[in-house]
Amino acid sequence: MKATWHADDALLARYVRGDAGSLDGASLEQHLTRCADCRARIATHVEAAPLAKVWSRVREEVQAPAPSLVERLLTRVGVPAPDALLVAVAPSLRASWLFGLAVTLGFVGLGAAYGGARGLTFFLLVAPLVPVAGVAFAYGPDVDPSYEVGVVVPYPAARLLLLRTAAVLATSLPLVLVAALLLPGMSWTAVTWLLPALAFTALVLAASTWTRPTFAAVSLGIAWACAVGAAALDRDPDSVLDPTRLLVYAATGIVATLVFRIRIHRLIPVGSLS
Amino acid sequence: MTAAITVGLTGITKRYRGTTALDAVDLSFRPGITGLLGPNGAGKTTLLRIIATVLAPDAGEVRLLGRNPATPDDLADVRRRLGYQPQDMGFPRAFTGFGFVDYMAVLKEWTARAPRHDEVRRVLDLVDLGEVATKRVRALSGGQRRRVALAQAMLGDPELMLLDEPTTGVDPEQRVSLRQVLSRAGERSTVLLSTHQTEDVAALCDRVVVLDQGRVRFDGAVIDLVATAAGRVWLADAPDPAACASWRTGTGKHRNVGEAAPPGAEPTEPTLEDAYLLLLGDRALTTEVAA
Repeated sequence: MKATWHADDALLARYVRGDAGSLDGASLEQHLTRCADCRARIATHVEAAPLAKVWSRVREEVQAPAPSLVERLLTRVGVPAPDALLVAVAPSLRASWLFGLAVTLGFVGLGAAYGGARGLTFFLLVAPLVPVAGVAFAYGPDVDPSYEVGVVVPYPAARLLLLRTAAVLATSLPLVLVAALLLPGMSWTAVTWLLPALAFTALVLAASTWTRPTFAAVSLGIAWACAVGAAALDRDPDSVLDPTRLLVYAATGIVATLVFRIRIHRLIPVGSLS
Repeated sequence: MTAAITVGLTGITKRYRGTTALDAVDLSFRPGITGLLGPNGAGKTTLLRIIATVLAPDAGEVRLLGRNPATPDDLADVRRRLGYQPQDMGFPRAFTGFGFVDYMAVLKEWTARAPRHDEVRRVLDLVDLGEVATKRVRALSGGQRRRVALAQAMLGDPELMLLDEPTTGVDPEQRVSLRQVLSRAGERSTVLLSTHQTEDVAALCDRVVVLDQGRVRFDGAVIDLVATAAGRVWLADAPDPAACASWRTGTGKHRNVGEAAPPGAEPTEPTLEDAYLLLLGDRALTTEVAA
C-alpha cells in the first residue's frame, strides 16, 4: 500500500534523537516500513560513523567463525589467540582425528591387555607411530591444500611446524600413555616406547627440510613395521625396546634435532611442490 | 617522473626434469598492471611463482621491492609486502570464506583481532563476497572460490600483487567488477596478471608480456602489440586456408587473421587476440583450445 502522508523533518530528527515519544514513534515506525521516501530521508538524519560501527559489530557477530574446541583449549593453556588459530587448523588436531585416535588406542590397549604376545606386538607397532602420523598430518603440501599461498607469508614456517608438533605431542602422547596402562604387569614397555616415538618425531622434522613430512612418515612407518615384525617372528617383540636399541633411538633423536636446527630455514623446500 | 622499478629479473632460468620452463628471462616491472600472456607451458606460472618467492630460480638474479629475496631478512620483508593468488588454489576443509581469509591474515601478521576482522571484511567486500562470507568455501561456486583466493591476495593492499588467472571461471558481471578493483590496485601497486583472456589484458593492462617456451616473445604496450596486426586481419565471405586463424563471425562474414588478403576481403580493425594469434601462430591456436 502506498503511503498517503510523509513525516516532516522535525519528526524524523526527534525520532533519531529518541525524543519522538511512544505514540509518534510507533506511528512513524509503522509508516517507515511502507514508505521508501521517508526511509531515504531519515537516513540523512542518522550519523554515518556510529551506524557503520554498529553494522560492523553485527557483521562480526554473524561472520566471524567461533573458535574450535582445540583453539579454545590452546588459548586456555596460554597459547596466544592468533597462534592458536593457526595451530588448530591442522587436520591431525581436529576433534574427529583425536576421537578416531582415542578409539584406535582403546582397541590397541585392550589387545595388549588380553591378546598376549600378538597384542603386545600390535601395541609396539602402533604406539611410537601415533605422534609421527600426527606430525605428518599437521603441516605440508599433502595436508594443506592452500600450502603454496601459505608459504608466501611473513609468519615463520618453522614456528608453525613446531607449534603444531608440540600440540600433536601434547594431545597424542597422553592418549597412548593411557592405552599403555592396560599393558599386563606394568612392564617398562609402558613408558620406553616414548623414546622411539620422540626420536621418530624428530626424524620426521629433520626429513621435512628435504622432503614432504608425509613421505618421511610413511618411510619410517614401513621401517618400524619391519623391525617390529622381525622381532615378533623371533617371539621377542619387546626386543625392539632393549637397552641397546633405546640408546640408538636416543642418539638418533639428538642427531635429528640438531640437523633440524641447522637446516630449519630450508623447511619443506618449495622445489618439492609439483 | 617514472616510478621506481619494483621487480627486476636478470637471466632467470628454471628447469624441471629436463624441460626448460624459463630460459634466461630478463624483465623489469614498475607500478601498474602488466598482463602475462602465453600458451599453456609457456612459463607464466613459473615466472609468477619465482616472483612470489614460492620457487627459487636455477640461475639469474631476482630483485623485489628493492630487496634480494635470496637472503632470509629480505625474504620476510618482501613477503610482508606482496599478495599472491596461485593458479590452482585449494582450501583446507571446513573453512568459511571469512574463516579462510582470516587465517591468511593471521599468517600475514595481522595479530590484533578487531583490525584484522575489519580488513577481512574490507577485502571480501572488494570482491563482492560480503554476502556469502559465512558459507563454507567448498559450497561456493568455482568463480566465488577464485574471488576468495583474490581477496586473500589483497589483504593489506600489497605493493606487489601476483595473480595467476584471477578471472578464470568468474561470470561476466563479476569480471567487470573485478576489473574495477584491479585497476584501482594498479594505480599504486605493481600488479602482474597471468591470463588466457586477451580481453582482460586489453581492458586492464598498459603493458603486456607474451611468453612462449620460456622466452619473452613480446614486451611492450598493449597498443603496440595490437598495432603489429594492423593490415593483417580481414573480413571475407569465405575462410582463407592460408590464414593463421579463420572463423565465421555472427554477421556471417569470416574473420581471417593472416598475412595476405584473401580475394574479395576487406581489412578490419585488429584486436589484441588477433595480434596474439599472429605472434604465436599455430602454437597459440593448439594450446588455447586445450586451455
